[in-house]
Amino acid sequence: MSEHAGPATKTATPSTSAVTFDVVVVGAGPAGSAAALELARQGHRVALVERGAFPGAKNVYGGVIYGRILDELIPNWWEEAPIERWVTRRQTMLMTPTQSLTVDFRTENWGKPPYNGATAHRAKFDAWLASKAEEAGAELITSTVVTGLLTENGRVVGVRTDRPEGDFKAQIVIACDGVNSFLAKQAGMYPDGQVHHTTLGVKETLALPRETIEERFGVSGTDGVDIELVGGTRGIAGGGFLYTNLDSISVGVVLSLTELGKAKVRPEELIADLKRHPAIAPLVKGGELIEYAAHLIPEGGYKTMPKLTGDGILVTGDAAAMCLAAGIWLEGVNFAIGSGMYAGRAAAEALSNNTTDLSGYERRLHESFVLADHRKLKGAPELLLGDRVQNKYPAMICDLVENLFQVTNPEPKPGLRKLLRRGTKQHGIRLRDLAKDAITGFRAYG
Amino acid sequence: MLIVVALRWIESLTSGLGAADECALEHALRLAEQLDAQTLAVTAGPEPAEAVLRTALASGIGDAVRVDLTEDETDDGSRVAKALADAIPAPDLVLCGDHSADRGTGATPAFLAAALGARQALGALSLTWDGKLLVERRLDGGRRERLAVGLPAVCSVEPADVRLRRASLPGLLAARKAAITVHKALSTRDDRITVERTRRFSPRTRRVPPPEGAEPHTRLLALTGALAEHDPPRLVHPADAKAGAAELLAYLRQHGYLE
Amino acid sequence: MIALIPVRDGTLPAGADEACAEASGHALLIGSGTHAAADALTSLRHAILAEAGDYAPAAWATALASHFRSSEPPYVVSSPPAHPGGQPYNSLSAPTPTPGPSTGVVHTPGQLWITDKSPGQGLILPASPDGRDLAPRIAFALDIPLLAGAIEIHRTGARLARWGSKTMVDVEVDGPFVATLVPGVRTVERASENTREKLNWPEQDAQDAEVLEVLPPDPKTADLAEAPRILGAGAGLTKNNGKEAIELLEKVADALQASVGATRVVTDAGHASYQRQIGTTGVVVDPELYIAFGISGAAQHIGGLGAPKHVVSVNTDPSCPMTAMADLGIVTDATALLEELAKEITHE
Ligand SMILES: Cc1cc2nc3c(=O)[nH]c(=O)nc-3n(C[C@H](O)[C@H](O)[C@H](O)COP(=O)(O)OP(=O)(O)OC[C@H]3O[C@@H](n4cnc5c(N)ncnc54)[C@H](O)[C@@H]3O)c2cc1C
Ligand SMILES: Cc1cc2nc3c(=O)[nH]c(=O)nc-3n(C[C@H](O)[C@H](O)[C@H](O)COP(=O)(O)OP(=O)(O)OC[C@H]3O[C@@H](n4cnc5c(N)ncnc54)[C@H](O)[C@@H]3O)c2cc1C
Ligand SMILES: Nc1ncnc2c1ncn2[C@@H]1O[C@H](COP(=O)(O)O)[C@@H](O)[C@H]1O
Repeated sequence: MSEHAGPATKTATPSTSAVTFDVVVVGAGPAGSAAALELARQGHRVALVERGAFPGAKNVYGGVIYGRILDELIPNWWEEAPIERWVTRRQTMLMTPTQSLTVDFRTENWGKPPYNGATAHRAKFDAWLASKAEEAGAELITSTVVTGLLTENGRVVGVRTDRPEGDFKAQIVIACDGVNSFLAKQAGMYPDGQVHHTTLGVKETLALPRETIEERFGVSGTDGVDIELVGGTRGIAGGGFLYTNLDSISVGVVLSLTELGKAKVRPEELIADLKRHPAIAPLVKGGELIEYAAHLIPEGGYKTMPKLTGDGILVTGDAAAMCLAAGIWLEGVNFAIGSGMYAGRAAAEALSNNTTDLSGYERRLHESFVLADHRKLKGAPELLLGDRVQNKYPAMICDLVENLFQVTNPEPKPGLRKLLRRGTKQHGIRLRDLAKDAITGFRAYG
Repeated sequence: MLIVVALRWIESLTSGLGAADECALEHALRLAEQLDAQTLAVTAGPEPAEAVLRTALASGIGDAVRVDLTEDETDDGSRVAKALADAIPAPDLVLCGDHSADRGTGATPAFLAAALGARQALGALSLTWDGKLLVERRLDGGRRERLAVGLPAVCSVEPADVRLRRASLPGLLAARKAAITVHKALSTRDDRITVERTRRFSPRTRRVPPPEGAEPHTRLLALTGALAEHDPPRLVHPADAKAGAAELLAYLRQHGYLE
Repeated sequence: MIALIPVRDGTLPAGADEACAEASGHALLIGSGTHAAADALTSLRHAILAEAGDYAPAAWATALASHFRSSEPPYVVSSPPAHPGGQPYNSLSAPTPTPGPSTGVVHTPGQLWITDKSPGQGLILPASPDGRDLAPRIAFALDIPLLAGAIEIHRTGARLARWGSKTMVDVEVDGPFVATLVPGVRTVERASENTREKLNWPEQDAQDAEVLEVLPPDPKTADLAEAPRILGAGAGLTKNNGKEAIELLEKVADALQASVGATRVVTDAGHASYQRQIGTTGVVVDPELYIAFGISGAAQHIGGLGAPKHVVSVNTDPSCPMTAMADLGIVTDATALLEELAKEITHE
């Protein structure tokens, strides 16, 4: 997290026709709706402004939502949330163009309340969460783009939108406008006014009949599968995923933007690669493309977070780089909901106490998983996006296993240690680095 | 002067409004500004249909009426028109969309004109007022026609030329709370029509004219296509665009469109 | 069943011949220049001509409705002058009932319509602009159902295109009805000869719009109408970056010695000029080769397409009507394919 905010870019003062609310929340993604819901519940006048025609209209993500944080916001949420399937089977697949090694875990426990992860369509999920905020009394204003902050004496006092007479005045603005947050930048929350460390996520949704999904993925009812893929991206730092929805599947890749630029490949080609991979092809066969989408992901983690609290403004979710994208984890929605909820609570507290002190926000974040997880995993992005983890280890491990299982009569079976030595040498990995990475890994994930 | 805009609510559309209806709304607002006329938006439909009336109010329409019909009951354009005509007080001009996004027949405005005893101008591409209403509309074969339309009139507009203005923020917020008059609809169910089934569209089979030829044998051959070179239709799912382009190029070469 | 065909200055509306064929060659032509218009109807077997003057849907509907309604022939049917080229008119001095066409409509010269509730009494109009104007007004005046936008009509109902030809609905009707037939949905059988009679038209007091002028089609459309190869742009090609897509399409068309056409969705969005619009309300074309990029194949588009020898459809939806009627259907993103095609063709 940066302690020193950069200079705020040019802002305007509110016009006389401005409409007044206690709080304006910008962006009706998971973070914004959670913030608005908290505030409305506590009786404050809150506007939830969204540029899409409806919440979730353009929002993109892989497909798995971890619901634990929702327990606190909407008890028994699983009874009403628009869920596709409950993830009861998680796989991590290491792959090279011709090989794959899968760790496959399944548990019945995740298939019943209070559940663990679920696949859901964002268009439905975001709309549902926003409708909860509306029911509680928040004013949801869609098809409206926030174009800038309004300030008075350096303090944020509202936002300007692209509507005629479109100024909002408010005591607090909560920026939930997602990755590359224009508001956080304008408020000077990013050290040099620039957001770094974004990766590109692209995904395809392929329609498949329900029964086919159940057969291929070995699940039934509303149980589903979440597969994380490591190493299938032509050496470009990143990873892939494959999730099951009710009658479609999502296949996608998450890619380093700089490397993608250098490699001069189109992300669609990488998805096409994945779909042709011998381990994936049978799973996606016959799927009819119904959606293609791309979106940026803030992937730098804790070290790249902006200043979270400003004078009259709070920054949450992807806008604050709170997405946890560390290899086997790709979690952003739960962090967005958590931070939005805490921002809402802190804002409500300030309004009720009639102060401008918003420090309750960061206090809550530190006390909760939101920043605790990020602090703990702050070394993970560098490790995971490094060349060894990205390229060399999957190939080495796959070869290792291939050699281990390969029957080489009449030669005797090689020992594991010998194979490891041979593998590291062949893949240009120094044992010293392997040990170093293992330690970093243990520190990051342990 | 009263200008009415008739809006069809379509549940599956995000805004609830088809493109043509949005244009009708914009035309109503422009004409009303020019003529200093009163404006009214009307829809026939269930309660959620009020969303489109609120859109109209937010954009600057003065009043709104919902004629209470269930979604099924709005299936029949003639019935909708009768219910609308019953609900709206002697309008000078009614603006409609050229065709709805779902039913898409464009018949409702003409029914409405008949029910109101008004003149009609359907499928207007442009609509201006110069002491009288001047309309340009498409005919077939690329021709166009210019009409002068006396009032009262019903005019349907194509989704062209104008765009619905953006509602102001205060307008949007006020429209959420504005009162909407609900009118009980005439009961005019037409039980002469029964819908048998709805399916995915497929073109009608084309009847082939009887082949020429003196001999029954040659006629038969011609009919079966045995003499003509004929490729069966092919459907390909190329792996990527490049492969798709290759398919197309091969096809063009095969049939002599390319060297 | 009988086709009702509005005529302006002897010009038939789009789809007139098909409406006539759908009614087994029976047609009532109304308007100005009906004699000449009848000559151009290839499927015509029997015509009733009503010289009713300038186009006036409201007035025509009122007059026709009272005519159709009455059980006695209300208008004197006169012996028309012989018409060169056409078949001799019926002598109507002694009206003898002629058996109706096989579809069951009872037709007596001078008496077009008998409104009992027996089935098989359909009035078919082409779904051209004028037909779509007139049909609802007649249905309203007669208080009978309108089946608008049909792709097939039979004695007791029709198959209707809905949602921009994405779905079709079969409806059945109890009793007489009015239907409009989308142009371009069927072939037209040529009738060897026809008979004609004339219907006297009463004075009518009009509640209609006044036609100021009819503008002829833009001469720029001539090249498209005659083009032997056409690349068509649909919403699937232009939805993201319309202007760029059309420019690229023009480049590729140049290389293939083809012309660029478009659907109405594309011209309405302003990505291509109206002169490029192919369809029933646009240019009617008849190319040898048609390549459709992201076109769904709505009946109104296909209606202006003629009968190309080779049709290719590039569309992400393998079962849309355009792909269904294509010789080669390529299921992929149209923009991406076009880009690849441009690369290849400019190489050549
Ligand atoms: C390919 C991909 C796969 C992913 N997979 C997963 C996954 O499986 N699980 C998971 O938990 N997370 C996943 N994520 C991350 C997750 O999507 C994000 O972390 C999460 O959406 C962040 O929520 P948010 O509310 O902060 O921002 P967003 O969801 O981005 O919402 C921001 C909202 O603000 C609106 N907005 C932006 N600017 C303005 C403006 N100026 N005016 C008005 N409105 C504005 C936007 O329209 C949007 O609705 C994935 C992301 C990607 C790209
Ligand atoms: C009275 C009347 C008259 C009309 N006259 C005409 C007329 O003269 N001419 C005319 O054209 N229309 C006319 N229309 C409109 C007609 O009904 C259709 O709405 C129109 O033809 C549809 O155009 P489209 O195929 O471009 O768009 P759509 O129907 O929206 O179809 C778009 C197609 O693109 C495909 N697609 C989407 N994304 C992609 C992608 N990435 N790559 C490839 N394919 C993709 C979709 O699967 C779909 O099939 C008329 C309508 C009425 C009511
Ligand atoms: N239920 C309705 N309520 C109000 N207006 C309608 C309704 N249905 C159709 N219309 C109007 O009639 C136009 C043509 O619709 P349609 O006849 O369904 O193609 C629409 O664009 C609307 O302006």
